[in-house]
Amino acid sequence: MELTGDIVLAAARARVWAALNDPQVLAACIPGCEAVEVVGPLEKTARVMVKVGPVRARFAGRILLADVVEAERCAMSFEGSGGAAGMARGQSQVQLSDEDTPEGPHTRLRYTVQASVAGKLGQVGGRMIDAAAKQMADQFFGAFQAHVAPVAAPAAEPLAAARSAAPEPIAPAQPAQAAGPSTQALSAARPPSSCAPAATEWLRVKWFALGALATALGVWVGARL
Amino acid sequence: MKSPQFDYCKPDSLEQVFSLLAQHGDDARILAGGQTLMATLNMRLSEPALLIDITGLKALGGIRVQGDRLYIGALATHTDIENSALVAQHAPLLAQAAPHIAHRAIRNSGTWGGSIAYGDPAAEWPCCLCALDGTVHLQGPGGARQVSATDFFLDLYTTALQPGEIVVGADVPLDSAADWVGFDELARRHGDYAVAGLAVAARFQGTLAQRVNLCFLGIGQIPLRARRTEALLAGKTLDAGTIEIAVASLKAELDPLPDLTHRADTKRHLATVLARRLLQAAHASRSAIPA
Amino acid sequence: MASFHTLHVEVNGQPQKRSVQPRQHLVDFIRNELGLKGSHLGCEHGVCGACTVEVDGRIVRGCLTLAVQTQGCKVRTIEGLSEDGDVRDLQEAFIRNNALQCGFCTPGMVMAAKELLEAKPDASREEVREWMSGNFCRCTGYHAIVDAICETLAERARKGQKVGA
Repeated sequence: MELTGDIVLAAARARVWAALNDPQVLAACIPGCEAVEVVGPLEKTARVMVKVGPVRARFAGRILLADVVEAERCAMSFEGSGGAAGMARGQSQVQLSDEDTPEGPHTRLRYTVQASVAGKLGQVGGRMIDAAAKQMADQFFGAFQAHVAPVAAPAAEPLAAARSAAPEPIAPAQPAQAAGPSTQALSAARPPSSCAPAATEWLRVKWFALGALATALGVWVGARL
Repeated sequence: MKSPQFDYCKPDSLEQVFSLLAQHGDDARILAGGQTLMATLNMRLSEPALLIDITGLKALGGIRVQGDRLYIGALATHTDIENSALVAQHAPLLAQAAPHIAHRAIRNSGTWGGSIAYGDPAAEWPCCLCALDGTVHLQGPGGARQVSATDFFLDLYTTALQPGEIVVGADVPLDSAADWVGFDELARRHGDYAVAGLAVAARFQGTLAQRVNLCFLGIGQIPLRARRTEALLAGKTLDAGTIEIAVASLKAELDPLPDLTHRADTKRHLATVLARRLLQAAHASRSAIPA
Repeated sequence: MASFHTLHVEVNGQPQKRSVQPRQHLVDFIRNELGLKGSHLGCEHGVCGACTVEVDGRIVRGCLTLAVQTQGCKVRTIEGLSEDGDVRDLQEAFIRNNALQCGFCTPGMVMAAKELLEAKPDASREEVREWMSGNFCRCTGYHAIVDAICETLAERARKGQKVGA
């Protein structure tokens, strides 16, 4: 499957790059992420508990980074094993560019992912893989946006109220999730429903490989360390 | 494959259920019909520590008229609903949809509450509930609450259920003489997960459709009400011209996700095929009624 | 975590008491504990229908039913159904129409068809095909199975009319 995304984040490029490489940020933003570890200068591992419907699959992934241009772009290949559930592998490319707006420095983040999911999850869950990957991407970027631009969050609410337009909350109005420690993201007590409406409003991404999300974002962590 | 080890219990009170859920969190799973859960466990796509069998909770069963609604308890099986005279009379949309759910052996075990709690976008009950503007009844340690169907299904497999809560039932408005309902779905094999499905709930005055609720399954992350097209149809007669306008509107409004077997544009096309069929059937049916 | 539960269940008219693990599904219990090999396992996730058995008068997927869930229930397998003779005519129609070759799907087919005969005695061929969609067959190409069921339906209808019920 292929997934592409194009989002504008309300933060400067350097800040976005730093956050993308920060293991704590990633662990907090990747839905179900349990751990991110540096194995080598260009190699990382990540463990993510994927919860989609009745499925609970713990994916352990490995990411290899390449073609890194600081604060601009990088490419990575990844593979993750979900034990009895199956495997995921693929590659992705990420690009950051400046996007100047009247509200201050913004960054455009473009990514593409090509991935495949094999094994039981691919067979039985194949019908849902695309939708599930999209949901994980939505959740990740919703949390990530709230992290890199939390100051914007309180201001955004009166703006939404003044417009009295959309019934759904806009993306940044979810500071509680991203700001919390990674344990909050892992807690079974936090339902994903609370961030879904926000993420879907501003995100026009397509599909995201299940394993790709866990592994791809984890790798950027140590590569910069 | 065989499922992994787990403990099993069958509480005889809701309080026990809530206590166990609080104690075990996501490591405990609710077992009612088990038609989704057991398949998941057999494939080892989940390894819970404990299964909480709620089929001993008689209060969660039953199909009954309550005021101006038809209430169906969570433990009602798909076959119970398929065979129910009350459903045939008061919620004929559900009676039309029931035979499309998987196959008889699965319908004999699977439950109304289970289907609603999972909120699979290709499932029939969430779609029908949204078409009928039904209400989901939840209960947790903090008490009971109700959520309208269209507020209940939030995202893929994501509902308004809070941890520690369970679905105890759902109700729908009673069908009236002015209502027309229709359900259809397209699948490669009868009983497979549908590629696309549609539930229509319309209220007429003569042949004039005062409102037409269109809810699609298998098209989005959740049961999808085509609100823009619904607005176009309100107050119109569903003649050929109006139906074409609706189809054009749906083509613009629907943004289906592809899946393993069908592209997005195929799904969009199939959604319009269903819309044509059901809207034509609605019009023909209302036209046949003597003024 | 290997907790055992004491299961009391009636199978083919015989009360049984066994110690079972919660994870054991009904067909594994029937086959391995009770030695009744007529119920088969194909996919073990509810799709193929080979595991279809009867619990309290209704067909279920034996692979999606835990043995412990049948506490206090009456279970009937193809062996019991054959002994009881409820669908003798259907089984003979299967043989007449060559509706089984390897026989792997047959117990499930007969179980599913039994409930059709009860629930929809005037089913059309199309309705028979829809009802039986939940059972896979790799050998026969299905037509012979549908023929056998339709024949049985027709024969029962004719007999019903004769008796003037």
